[in-house]
Amino acid sequence: MAAPLISTAEVGHKFGPYDVTIPTERANAYAVAVGGDESPDYGDSLAPIMVVAAALTELIEDLGLFSGGLQTVHAGQEVSWERQVKIGEKVDAIGKLAANSVRRGNHFATVSVSYQDSTGEEIGTSSTTIIVSGEASS
Amino acid sequence: MTSLSVGDALTGFERQITQDRVDAYAEASGDHNPIHLYESYASTTQFGTRIAHGMLSLALVTEMLATNFPNTWHDGGKLKVRFSAPVFPGETVVTYGEVTAIDESDDGLIATCTIGCKKPDGTDAVAGRATVPLE
Repeated sequence: MAAPLISTAEVGHKFGPYDVTIPTERANAYAVAVGGDESPDYGDSLAPIMVVAAALTELIEDLGLFSGGLQTVHAGQEVSWERQVKIGEKVDAIGKLAANSVRRGNHFATVSVSYQDSTGEEIGTSSTTIIVSGEASS
Repeated sequence: MTSLSVGDALTGFERQITQDRVDAYAEASGDHNPIHLYESYASTTQFGTRIAHGMLSLALVTEMLATNFPNTWHDGGKLKVRFSAPVFPGETVVTYGEVTAIDESDDGLIATCTIGCKKPDGTDAVAGRATVPLE
C-alpha cells in the first residue's frame, strides 16, 4: 500500500480546488445534526462552518487519513468568514499544507484553506491542525 | 448587539449529542469516518467507543455566536479553537462564551470573546476565542 500523503507531502503542497457547494439535502442534514429551538434562522443561507467541514472531509481523504492503522486527532481549527453563503452557491476550497512535522512519533500538520466564490473572490479562510499517529509517523 | 460590555456572558445552550445527530452530521459534512459511525470499529480505537465529530461540537459553538451576533457573525467573524476532549454520543454539552474586550478598529467596534463547549463533567470539548464585529 502506498504511503499516505501526509507522510510525504512537503510544506506548500496544494490541495484542491474542491467543489464544496452545499446542496439542500446536506443543509437539511446539518440542521438535524446541529439545530435546536434556539437556532438562528438561516433562511436560504448556510452556516459557514458547514463549508469548512466539507472541505476538511476532502482534505482528510487526500491526506490518506482514512487509511488503516492511522489515528487522527483534530487538534485545532481557525475560521474567518466574510459573508453569508447561499445553499447551492458554488464555492471552491483551495488548500495548502502550511506545516508538516514529526515530533515524538506523531505527525503535526496544518492545512490552510481559502474559500472562493464563483467570481474568484475570497469569502472565507480556515486553518486546520491535525495530529496523526500510526504508520504515517514511522 | 452593540449593548454588550466586557464581562458579559453570551447566551449559550445545552444540546444532547445523540448518535442520530452524529449520523446526520456525517451526511452533512461527508465525513463518514467509522470512528463516528460504527461501534465495531470504534471499539478498537484509543477511545473504545464512537465519538462525535469535533466539528459538530464546533458547529454548536458557532450556532451560539450566530444567535448572539445575528447580524455580524457571518460577516467578518473569526474564531480559533482547540479540541480538548472527545464528545461521546449520549452526552449533553453546553456552549458558553464571555466578552473579554471591545476594541475600536478601522471597521468599527470588534468584540473579543472566549468561547467553548463543555462536557457533562465540566471539561472543555472545544475552547478558544472569537472576534466579532459589533456593527
